Amino acid sequence: MTPLTPTALPRGGAASRAALPGKAALAAGLLVLALLPVMTGASNYMLGLLISALILAGIALAWALLGNLGGMVSFGHAAFFGVGGYASALLSGKLDLPVLLTVPAGGLIAAAASLAMLPALRLSGPYFALAILAYAQIFRILATEASWLTGGGAGLQGIPGLPSVFGLDLASRTGSYLLLVAIVTLCALAYAAVRRSPVGLALRAIAESEDATRVVGVNSILLKSMMLLLSAFIAGVFGALNAHIIGFLEPEYAFSGIWSLMPIIAAIFGGYRTVIGPIGGAVIIYLFDQVVAKGLIAVGHQIILGIVLVVMVLAAPNGLLGLIRAKGDRDAAA
Amino acid sequence: MLRRAVAVATIAFAALCGNRASADDILVGAHMPLTGSLARSGQAFDEGMRVAVQMFNARSGTHKLRLRVIDDESTPAKAVSAVEKLVADGAVAVIGGYGSNIVGPASDAANRLDTTYITAGAASDELTKRGLKTFFRINNNAGYQRGMVGLLKSLKPASVSIVASTKESPSLLAKGLQRDLSAEGVKVTLHEFDPAITDFKPIINKVKLQDRPDALVMAAYENDYVGIIRAARILKPSVKLIVGAWALAVPKLYQEFPDLMNNVVGASFLPFPVEIEDEEGKGFAEAYRKTYDKDVDYHSTLSFVETTILAEAIAKAAEAGTLRTGGLTEAMRTTDRKTVLGPVQFDATGDNPRFSVAMGQHRAGKIVLVSPRSAATGDLVLPARPW
Repeated sequence: MTPLTPTALPRGGAASRAALPGKAALAAGLLVLALLPVMTGASNYMLGLLISALILAGIALAWALLGNLGGMVSFGHAAFFGVGGYASALLSGKLDLPVLLTVPAGGLIAAAASLAMLPALRLSGPYFALAILAYAQIFRILATEASWLTGGGAGLQGIPGLPSVFGLDLASRTGSYLLLVAIVTLCALAYAAVRRSPVGLALRAIAESEDATRVVGVNSILLKSMMLLLSAFIAGVFGALNAHIIGFLEPEYAFSGIWSLMPIIAAIFGGYRTVIGPIGGAVIIYLFDQVVAKGLIAVGHQIILGIVLVVMVLAAPNGLLGLIRAKGDRDAAA
Repeated sequence: MLRRAVAVATIAFAALCGNRASADDILVGAHMPLTGSLARSGQAFDEGMRVAVQMFNARSGTHKLRLRVIDDESTPAKAVSAVEKLVADGAVAVIGGYGSNIVGPASDAANRLDTTYITAGAASDELTKRGLKTFFRINNNAGYQRGMVGLLKSLKPASVSIVASTKESPSLLAKGLQRDLSAEGVKVTLHEFDPAITDFKPIINKVKLQDRPDALVMAAYENDYVGIIRAARILKPSVKLIVGAWALAVPKLYQEFPDLMNNVVGASFLPFPVEIEDEEGKGFAEAYRKTYDKDVDYHSTLSFVETTILAEAIAKAAEAGTLRTGGLTEAMRTTDRKTVLGPVQFDATGDNPRFSVAMGQHRAGKIVLVSPRSAATGDLVLPARPW
């Protein structure tokens, strides 16, 4: 674990105010970058790839939130993703509720499902990771067995698509992309707000030494529970969005280990201790794999991604953002 | 640094744009599971498509097709991306893929893009209930059900155990078989299993000790067949027949698992070594052998037929000058031809109501068609089990 250095703590007062124009410029730059594909008229294919990348980014953000704030390494975010997807698909498909309502409801139901995992919060490190992995398997089996509700292994087809809002068809590639940019941004802002707050400070202290923070009166279980709920909510929302965009769900797909594994890779690649890192990591990894690697080796391109990841982890254990920062520090020192 | 960035951008740009069709040929797209859990079937489909295009181009004077296949990695989102990329690159139609769970979202995407989509790898009834205008398929659950029920009825079993995956197509097939066989007075016990399981001994133990059936029926996929038969070979239930649906009576499975496949029966179109009566089938078998140095099989035959039908419809629409203005879908609807799989026509839902399969038995590396009587190349050897 990286020690909690003063530079990692939130800055206050004059320093914070001085950083504001820089942060505003960064935010504006990122916003322009996000809108670039729409402004340049990117193809449906490119927008489709970006949509898949942003869904991955959302889960990576949820995973990093739990890992960074509270030190909980999860191998089971597929559970929240799957529960959110099924909940929203069933609420919209069977009860005819509006999709824009069922998406956050999917997130809430995923958060409620995470309550079942609260006993696992007593565990830490690999024990917590294994327990949450087991929970993900339980939810997958439940989705398969409750065939009267979920369609069982056959899954659900014809899930209602995203609606039109103010003349913008959210089911179109452009509409879905803009919606995902907005929701990823909202989730990142929520994460950043929690991270900056005293609660975030306490959670990062818990990640370093839970015993030490309890000694000074921090209710670590309560704070970790709150993060688990928030993380599950975010993963559930992206599971719901994915279900409405793809229009299909089956337990093997909705609870696939890919939804647990890829966000971890993306977050670590981008830098899981930052807010932007997991998002950037997910977008870069997904696009690199599907555009560059698949362009070079049509079948078996994953091997290129594997090599890049190994090199990246060896060269920059703090992720891409850590690498950029380290280079910036070196340049400044020179 | 800048040079490196330019190099990466160039590779990406080339990957995105480099495969556009030239003005002289017609691009046909396909997405297939060339990697992932369904890769064995996807690769065989890929070979059949390529031979079909090669044969079509050889006999077509004016219209030449160019096939571009994208690996969908056995995942729905990547199949959807593949369809979008192929259409963006100018493909007039998409052939795909394998598994109803992947074909469902991919064909939805093709329909949204108003692009003709044909498949021979998705048998679920749900697919044709969606009312998509651009969706076509040449095989369906009903055909497999007819073939399997025909064989079982001829054996007059008192009881049958069905071991079925809970995935969409196997599950629907199993329920259809249960309904049809029960109506014939056969006692049917259905054992559904989670697609994630690999150890079938508990299920086969139930079949052996509780059901004691005359026949063990499998509605599943390749990897499941291997697991089920492996468990049965260990526990040896007293069944007279082990029978499965698609992708079981294929030479490749025998080559990989000879000790598990001998005597087992599955849906098939052609005997092996291949004996084909019609000229088109003979041409296909010859071209396939020349290209891949092996005989045609179940999957390659399916993909050959779907690709040939699509190619002919493309030529028809191109002749009429309506290829890119909706004429291809109309040309597909007028299809009415005999193929190496039997007759193919499309109804209003895009399904082929005339699809039916024969049943073939693995016999020491050969596949003998044993049912129906009209297609049989030999008698069923009983007990039809590998031990």
